Amino acid sequence: MAHPMRTPAEETLIARFAAEKAALPGTATLITPLRETAFRAFEEVGLPHRRVEDWRYTDLRANLKSIAPAAGPANLDAIRTAKPAVEGDGARRLVVANGTFLADLSDLADLEAGLSIRSLAEDLANGTTSVAHAIGIDPLPAGNTAVELNTAFMTDGVVIEVAEGVVIERPLEIVHLVASATPVSTAVRNFVFVGAGARATVIETVESLDAVAHQSNIVTTLSVGDDAALDHIRLQLEPDTAVSFATVTARIGARATLNTFNAALGAGLARAQVFATFTGREAKGGFRGVTLLSGRRHADTTLVVNHDAEACESRELYKAVVDDSAKSVFQGRIEVPSHAQKTDARMMTASLLLSEDAEAAAKPELEIFADDVQCGHGATCGEIDDDLMFYLLSRGIPEAEAESMLILAFLGEAIDEIDNEAVHDALIHRVEDWLKARQG
Amino acid sequence: MLEIRDLHAKIGDREILKGLSLTVKPGEVHAIMGPNGAGKSTLSYILAGKEDYDITSGDILLNGKSILELSPNERSVAGLFLAFQYPIEIPGVATMTFLKAALNAHRKAKGEGELSTPDFMKVVKETAAKLNITSDMLKRPVNVGFSGGEKKRAEVMQMALLQPRICILDETDSGLDIDALKVVSEGVNALRSPERSFVVITHYQRLLDHIVPDIVHVLSAGRIVKTGGPELALELEQNGYAAYVDAA
Repeated sequence: MAHPMRTPAEETLIARFAAEKAALPGTATLITPLRETAFRAFEEVGLPHRRVEDWRYTDLRANLKSIAPAAGPANLDAIRTAKPAVEGDGARRLVVANGTFLADLSDLADLEAGLSIRSLAEDLANGTTSVAHAIGIDPLPAGNTAVELNTAFMTDGVVIEVAEGVVIERPLEIVHLVASATPVSTAVRNFVFVGAGARATVIETVESLDAVAHQSNIVTTLSVGDDAALDHIRLQLEPDTAVSFATVTARIGARATLNTFNAALGAGLARAQVFATFTGREAKGGFRGVTLLSGRRHADTTLVVNHDAEACESRELYKAVVDDSAKSVFQGRIEVPSHAQKTDARMMTASLLLSEDAEAAAKPELEIFADDVQCGHGATCGEIDDDLMFYLLSRGIPEAEAESMLILAFLGEAIDEIDNEAVHDALIHRVEDWLKARQG
Repeated sequence: MLEIRDLHAKIGDREILKGLSLTVKPGEVHAIMGPNGAGKSTLSYILAGKEDYDITSGDILLNGKSILELSPNERSVAGLFLAFQYPIEIPGVATMTFLKAALNAHRKAKGEGELSTPDFMKVVKETAAKLNITSDMLKRPVNVGFSGGEKKRAEVMQMALLQPRICILDETDSGLDIDALKVVSEGVNALRSPERSFVVITHYQRLLDHIVPDIVHVLSAGRIVKTGGPELALELEQNGYAAYVDAA
């Protein structure tokens, strides 16, 4: 298919793939063709633009002006001395720096029985069955540019496997760091397999040590076995100059529970995606997130929850606070096929606009083909309530403090769903810092 | 203490206060009674500094200084307190966080340091206990899930904590049963002192059986049309406001 005209970013991607593919990890029989297929799918249509419905509000053709070169090895001293984004959670830290899993800098001592942590690059090179299975056979969102580019360029990541029935109390924290004085691109793919009846908490923090225009693309695939439980929390804390794509794909087995939370606190252009499928009956999913935006930043949250099994329950709650001339986007779709009777799904999104030029777009959708279901969605967009403000002011609380209290209260409804106390508190502190910075 | 001078105010094009004057001296309790639509709640909001109104002429003085240019929080720390007719529910803001922020704002204005958490807890718990406010209520977000009576008790608790010089009670009796009315009134009466004044805005006389005023005013069509002693309230209870509505 003829493409109208390649943008500089597209041209760079094409040149980069041609130059880099031979050195990317993966078996020639399985992984290399996957990369080729994914890249060709991208190449055929190019970067998505506003006439592509899924990217209507986040036009990459217009906004992704250039592509940074692939990241080289990170300065290990810089990584070693980086201040942790979350303190006091006692988590087992798994460091992925400049797109490479650094086992030496990760906390792999005394792994619990039934817990396996490996480098994805090794799995790719070895053609390890589980990963190949997940990449090649599990349904990924078709035609999704961020995922296709990730598949084409992924260098490494963390593979976490929790064996059947094993409960891992200690949270696992994937620390994504980029250390480079000039802008670089990274493509990281993580896998979390939680076996039947097992339990785990996985935290991801995404940061870069330099305030330059890095481009990160992370895809984390969560596979939650029957009767298993997984909490997944991602804190996206990149500098305002960064471009961030962060995708979660999830399969949730029968009677399993998955709670996933995304905090979009950084990046100038961000897209957080969740593609989740209920594969077994009576499972529960919580999909939540908060977005804080100022300046001219743009953050997109795109969510597709497929209730592909009977009697599953999902709760979706996304909140955005938008200041200055920033823009937030929420696209959420709940799919209920005809066999998914007794589905119970409730999706809510709310935006709080703090300035005249702030913008929020919300597109909640329900696609329901079953007749015995309870599904609902709601979207609100508004300013800080004058009556609430007046009440706080009338008690002597200064305006800036009153406003911060109300913003925190607005976000709290979502943030308070995070069970892990250390992560919850770390996020609240970040929000408080943001509020302080906003008041100058 | 509080002096309102020939106050004219409108909301949009509608003039609601049409030359209201009132002087409240330290230690006095004034009742303002009046029919629906007389401008009672407007008066309370204007005193507290709500933005929705245009003050077209006149002035409001607190301790001899005009407060018209002060924001609601500046008026609060200057000693003015409004007990709301309908206290607002604020989901997500913990009552204790709210009380602490308010109390510390007042302390800061007086040049005092912030209260330590134990001291703060102590003063809140003591004040709450006197008003039958349970620790469960204190754990909830501000006014959320409170009954009408609980909300009014919470207002009086805030008043007791902030120790204002002038308290405006806007229809504090509305939505209260007899028992709750007693608790609230006792809370208010406990705060009466020679330095503190009250303006009690009410539609009915029954609140004034519990909070006995020194002076009673009738507000009708945006002005004080009659001023008298407590007996005026009884007269209104018997004869209604008809005479004053016509006069205004």
